[in-house]
Amino acid sequence: MSIVPAPDRGTRLLKWSTPYLLLLPAIAFVAGILGYAVVRGLFLSFFRVEVWEPGEPFVGFANYLALFASDTFRNSLTISLIFVAATIVIGVLLSMVHALVLNETRTGRSFFRAVALVPYLVSGVAAAVMWRFLFTGDNAMAMQLVGALGFSSVSWLADPNKALIVVIMANIWFIAPFATLILLAGLQTVDPELYAAAEIDGANAWQKFTNVTLPSILPMLSLALLWLSFASFNMFDIILPLTGGGPGRSTEVLAVYMYQLAFRDLNYSTGAAVMIIILIINVALSALFLRAAGAQHHDK
Amino acid sequence: MTSSAVSSRTVPIRSASRSLLSTRTIVWGVLAVLTVWSVLPIVWSLSASLKTPLTLYTSGLVPTDPTLDNYYRVVTSDGFSIYLWNSFFLAMASTAIALFLSVLAAYGFARYAFRWRHILLLFILVPRILPRASLIIPLYDMVERLNLLDTYTVLVVTYTATAVPMATWILIGFFNAVPRELEEAAAIDGASLWQRIWGVVVPISLPGMVTAGVLSLREAWNEFPFVLAFTTSSDMRTLPYQLFLLRDSMGIQDWPLINAFTITTIIPILALYLIFEKRIVNGLTSGAVK
Repeated sequence: MSIVPAPDRGTRLLKWSTPYLLLLPAIAFVAGILGYAVVRGLFLSFFRVEVWEPGEPFVGFANYLALFASDTFRNSLTISLIFVAATIVIGVLLSMVHALVLNETRTGRSFFRAVALVPYLVSGVAAAVMWRFLFTGDNAMAMQLVGALGFSSVSWLADPNKALIVVIMANIWFIAPFATLILLAGLQTVDPELYAAAEIDGANAWQKFTNVTLPSILPMLSLALLWLSFASFNMFDIILPLTGGGPGRSTEVLAVYMYQLAFRDLNYSTGAAVMIIILIINVALSALFLRAAGAQHHDK
Repeated sequence: MTSSAVSSRTVPIRSASRSLLSTRTIVWGVLAVLTVWSVLPIVWSLSASLKTPLTLYTSGLVPTDPTLDNYYRVVTSDGFSIYLWNSFFLAMASTAIALFLSVLAAYGFARYAFRWRHILLLFILVPRILPRASLIIPLYDMVERLNLLDTYTVLVVTYTATAVPMATWILIGFFNAVPRELEEAAAIDGASLWQRIWGVVVPISLPGMVTAGVLSLREAWNEFPFVLAFTTSSDMRTLPYQLFLLRDSMGIQDWPLINAFTITTIIPILALYLIFEKRIVNGLTSGAVK
């Protein structure tokens, strides 16, 4: 009886391989397309690929060194940092306040929550066009507003510094709603007894927020920060249609810089080096915030 | 005794009714401001889309003489039906394929313990942190070699690949919640694995399918970097791409027309969202929390 009958063996093999067969198509798509892109991008960044030159010689880190020596790259890196930092700081305050008032509201909460998420559904291009309209023309709505506040009503999109402000505002409008949703989900899990206990101890509203709310939602706060930094660091859809990176290079964040480098200047290998730098920063950001979220989780 | 315990848990104790009133006022005031902030660009755009170039800046938020003429000009403009069809087709095709692949993968992850499960799960999930725009350079290189530039194929394939991670993630959660007994009962009746997946697990997880489907539709409908990089002819343009070109056109900009186009492109997803709002919000929240 030591011989295993053939059909049995086949069934066992089928049983063993079932989960792998189920996963195969999805993995093939995701790893095949996206995984390939990452590997190919890494490869491209170590070679010099020129459209008008035959051959693709290996150049080592030359593309990266050229980048760090170039003013335009350092300019984009700086603008990306300003863009991300401003979005995170203002975005997290805005979405926290929004989530708090939504959480306090009883009447019509689901209506206001639904409206709060609306910007998340609009395409980046549509959002950019709407914001461009708000700031274009002497009589545009936002220009009348800032004119009333005493600012010069010269078009903000033509001024390098003010264009960056407009892009940051549009970005916050576009991506903060999802952070609001994450924070609201966190607020709804806070144990009401903790507030009651804090009130018995005589805590005021601010003390309740810092001693009860914040510690309870720290994991969600990390997630919201991760979303805000990730989405703004990679923002492309808003900036290209809104300013195209201009005026000059004043709003040219890394993603737009990379696109222009590859598709306008046809400099694929340097563009690929920018892509790898962007990916490395993304992985570092994710690790940082997820670690913060995880550490909080373990503390509890 | 019971009633006091319940009330202390659900209703925050307030010392004075006056402070309660002022807190309410502040909460409502802030909520009103933030709600206006959320919709103002859209409302302003909608308002402008109902005006003429002459009344664009003279009449206020509520147009004095609203006209649908701009919408008529949008839908009858050259190529609009092509762009609409492209957007619709790409969103439907990539969502259908992504859902099909994700159902199989999510079932595998939800129901089986196997070697390298964690590694394979990472393979599916980590790509979520790959930004779209950063992928266009190496993908362009591949697409060019395969002679697939300017085809539906490349857009359907790349849209599907970017939709699978999130759909799989959402569906794993829903499939985990389906009781195994239901499947066992079906198996006793002679249902094959295939029949159990599509006949038992998927119908029970319909809310999850809707959430994953709407989010995938939204992603494909709004997609910009891939269609910008991988297509060249006007026959392949989608609505966002056309909108991008429209706002970029030189000379005097016809803002009422551009705004009508903007509103037209966002209406389908907004409508879907309003229909399935609760499900989508819950799906998004649980997707983010896990």
